[in-house]
Amino acid sequence: MSESGSDGGKWLDAHYDPVAGLYTFSSCVDLADLSGDGESRLVVGDLGCGSYSMKLKVYRGTVLMSESTLLDLPAGLVAFFMDLHEPRIPAVAVASGPCIYVYKNLRPYFKFTLPGLEVNTLEQDVWQQVKEGQIDPLTLKEMLEGIRKKANIPLSVRSTRFLSLETSDMDAFVQLHNQQPIRRQTVITCIGTLKKSTADEDGVSCLVIGTESCDVYVLDPEAFIILSKMLLPAAPITMDVTGQFDVEFRITVACRNGNIYVLRRESDKPKYCIELSSHPVGLVRVGKNVVVGCTDESLQGFTQKGKKLWRIILPAPVITMAAMDLPTRGFQGVLVGLANCEVQLYRDKNLLSTFKTPNVVTSICFGRYGREDGTLIMTTKGGGLMMKILKRTAVFDDRDSAPGPPLAQSVRLNVPKKTKLYVDQTLRERENGLTMHRAFQMDLSRLRLATAKAYVKALESSLTPMSSSLSEPIKMNAVVQGLGPSFKLTLNIQNTAACRPIMNLAISFLYDESLYRMRNPYMRIPLLVPGLIYPVETFVECTSDKGISDIIKVFILHEGQSSPLLTAHINMPVSEGLMLS
Amino acid sequence: MEVAMDPLFLAWSYFRRRKLQQCSDICTKILQDNPYDQAAWSLKTRALTEMVYIDEVEVDQEGIAEMMLDESFIAQVARPGTSLRLPGTSQGGGPSPAVRPMTQSGRPITGFVRPSTQSGRPGTMEQAIKTPRTASTARPVTSASGRFTRLGTASMLTNPDGPFINLSRLNLAKYSQKPNLSRTLFEYIFHHENDVKNVSVALYLQQKELVNITLQDFDCCNKNVLFHQALDLAAQATEHAQFRDWWWKVQLGKCYYRLGLYREAEKQFQSALNHQEVVDTYLYLAKVYQRLDQPVTALNLFKQGLDHFPGEVTLLTGIARIHEEMNNISSATEYYKDVLKQDNTHVEAIACIGSSHFYTDQPEIALRFYRRLLQMGVYNCQLYNNLGLCCFYAQQYDMTLSSFERALALVANDEEQADVWYNIGHVAVGIGELTLAYQCFKLALAFNNDHAEAYNNLAVLELRKGRIEQSKAYLQTAASLCPHMYEPHFNLSILCETIGDLQSSYTAAQKSEDAFPEHVDTQQLLKQLRQHFAVL
Repeated sequence: MSESGSDGGKWLDAHYDPVAGLYTFSSCVDLADLSGDGESRLVVGDLGCGSYSMKLKVYRGTVLMSESTLLDLPAGLVAFFMDLHEPRIPAVAVASGPCIYVYKNLRPYFKFTLPGLEVNTLEQDVWQQVKEGQIDPLTLKEMLEGIRKKANIPLSVRSTRFLSLETSDMDAFVQLHNQQPIRRQTVITCIGTLKKSTADEDGVSCLVIGTESCDVYVLDPEAFIILSKMLLPAAPITMDVTGQFDVEFRITVACRNGNIYVLRRESDKPKYCIELSSHPVGLVRVGKNVVVGCTDESLQGFTQKGKKLWRIILPAPVITMAAMDLPTRGFQGVLVGLANCEVQLYRDKNLLSTFKTPNVVTSICFGRYGREDGTLIMTTKGGGLMMKILKRTAVFDDRDSAPGPPLAQSVRLNVPKKTKLYVDQTLRERENGLTMHRAFQMDLSRLRLATAKAYVKALESSLTPMSSSLSEPIKMNAVVQGLGPSFKLTLNIQNTAACRPIMNLAISFLYDESLYRMRNPYMRIPLLVPGLIYPVETFVECTSDKGISDIIKVFILHEGQSSPLLTAHINMPVSEGLMLS
Repeated sequence: MEVAMDPLFLAWSYFRRRKLQQCSDICTKILQDNPYDQAAWSLKTRALTEMVYIDEVEVDQEGIAEMMLDESFIAQVARPGTSLRLPGTSQGGGPSPAVRPMTQSGRPITGFVRPSTQSGRPGTMEQAIKTPRTASTARPVTSASGRFTRLGTASMLTNPDGPFINLSRLNLAKYSQKPNLSRTLFEYIFHHENDVKNVSVALYLQQKELVNITLQDFDCCNKNVLFHQALDLAAQATEHAQFRDWWWKVQLGKCYYRLGLYREAEKQFQSALNHQEVVDTYLYLAKVYQRLDQPVTALNLFKQGLDHFPGEVTLLTGIARIHEEMNNISSATEYYKDVLKQDNTHVEAIACIGSSHFYTDQPEIALRFYRRLLQMGVYNCQLYNNLGLCCFYAQQYDMTLSSFERALALVANDEEQADVWYNIGHVAVGIGELTLAYQCFKLALAFNNDHAEAYNNLAVLELRKGRIEQSKAYLQTAASLCPHMYEPHFNLSILCETIGDLQSSYTAAQKSEDAFPEHVDTQQLLKQLRQHFAVL
């Protein structure tokens, strides 16, 4: 591939460890100078196996420098400056569940918990009564179910858990939990940082948190109080924040209802709304524009005010996205990790470069790592860690992405030549058109008659494997399995009516009794529900060792009627079991 | 006074006129008078053999056991163009499945039905032992049991008072030393009694270098007793075995082939070829290679044979058949044309070229070939059926329906009748007579309950009438009968899509894609469905 060759010239393969055991997403990866020595570290919130061994990992160069256990699955991770102390060392905030754990110098520093949500008063009363022993768990269950149906404030986690329990486990659950007060909490879905008052690289930043309860909070970095609370129409998935809190800011949030909302300083309601045609996977801001990757394998560009600029189709579904920002060269682009093990780099809608990866990339992070400005860090689906360095000589130039007419246009179709024979025949057709037409019409009438006769005969003797009567539309097909002398006969019977079941049917067989023996030559069919295939099985034994086979006729009969509804002829295979022995 | 003809001469004369039963009767009489008359014994043996003789070169049917328990192939996943196992691997040159239909077992239809045109390997054991194992498409368990036994049973039934030669009491060693008797005896045992094991015992006596044949081959034949007998006698036979005889080597190879010892068979045939170049030996050896799934080697062998016997029809036909089985129809047609240059009444070649022209959009030329067959005296249902279709597609309407009428008058069994009705149904669809088409497809199903194509077409007609449930049921049946056909899957997918069941539509479309990956409509449908799933 010429493209990969050219991109081999743009990236240096710095490090690849396919068994690094890093399972994470782009939102849990960040680069920061954690020790203030001018060397950037890689901070990763590792999801581990999903239920245990969640870790906060820090890499320096190619080695794992430190590792500390996380209590819950990380939803997002950011490095930010929380004070003005020297040396300038950023803190790391890990969002998991309803809490934010702040680490400073890689040691736990502070835990912030989101304020609880409003609890249904009825629910509270009920639990209070349980605590006082006024009602038993079964009554509690009934009451909670009533509340769940009617109330507009949803139940707490404890109540929903209780409702899902078996009756035997209820008592123990109530005993365990009735002393604690009821709380209703939400969880964090995404996290970002917002500069407080200065736009400096090392200015103090606020944390911006999106929650499952459709709220966006801005937290003060020193006191950890909520500076601002904004409400969204849906739960946020991923967000991008720009500006300063004290001056003017803009929070672009992609939400679970497939819309993107833009929040601004003045109002606590979204200012603009972008309605997408499918669910967003990733959102990246490039300059003043927003680039969104969607599940319909497309990449779309919008202005800050929600005007659509462009849309391109990608070769495979998007897995992850990240911004590639290289201020020293004034380059801004979007990296897109695709499901076909490719990573593509776009500037606006132009594809600049593509490179293959050994596995599907699940997270991408581009920035300063160590002392190198242009480092690309990726983790793969199998837990691998990959680092590439952008060459200083690499130049990305826009290629003209609008090709000419499609290639298929110039392919000649293989149309067979008209043979001389064909021309002769058309001449004959032209000359004798009338007689040919008459002959054909006459033959057709005769054939219609012959077909109708044969058809009526088939209908009268119910020869067809599907019943034509309107009251009992049934279809059957038979399958014979086995090598002999014992065969298994499976009759697949299906009721093809739209909604009416069929009852009172029976199966009987007609066969040469000197050749075959059948275990049960008369069977009753259960009620046939429309649309389902009912397999009816029986065993046939071939009693002859002469290598002869015969036809077995199957009849489906309606009780009380002598003529069959339908008939199937089974050509039995030759029995070979006796010959082999 | 009437002079009676010498009975042995009369018997010989009957034999030459192929009145085999009379010949055998006279020999029986002679043998009653003189049980030690070797000439009569030999003649009777030959007559009985001829009665059930089948050309060993032509009969090749892979049984279930050979197919499923095969260990002789080299590559599990063969490269395209080097294997007969994948019926779908076409290297261009043939029309796509959209044009050329498949047989019930999933090979593209050829112009001429041979045992191997039915094949196409089933993927699983389940598929192998399932119907359509009806009488027409059944596979035997092994090639050693199936057809041979079936053909052999004819002789079993006609001899109620026991077999002519009691093999177990035969002193094979004695006979092996009499070259004038041993060959007829061998053929009798091989063809009439179908007892490969005994035959091989006879052969061991002939071939001294083969005494140390592996023991387990015989264990599997449950003929240990005979084998020990053979071992004892082999020592005696070696003294008499002056055999550097190609004929015996070929026979030994045939026995190995029947026993499934292909590598040994290959050795024997090759050594026979070193002694004497015979066309038959080339054909047998090619058969071995085909069974070992080495079509390219077989092709080379045929070409080597053609160097020695230029223009030999059987060799050319062999090449053409291999090309055809590898789905390379255009080169197969070239070789069939070569065959016709040598032998212009070769039915198989004419039929195959005809069908190839029909499926490459030149029905008027196909018509020519089929008419030639008619002139040659081939007079059967299938031919008229093909003529009718060719006439219809070449726009010679006056002859179309009359051909079908004749075909209907000539049908020999229900399957043929079903096929003719199915084709009439096609013509009816072509002229817009949907009621007639409906009746025809139903008739096709009445005569052959496993006609998947008819089910499929009937489903489309039902759908046009708006009976969705029926249509769906028919399509599901068609798909279960012939999972390798893409049409029912595709139609089911379209049906489900129109009624809004996108999930079923998607799974059906995926199956259709598996059956026919290049089908553009399926691809478009899949794309559309994927878009549908992605959109909010």
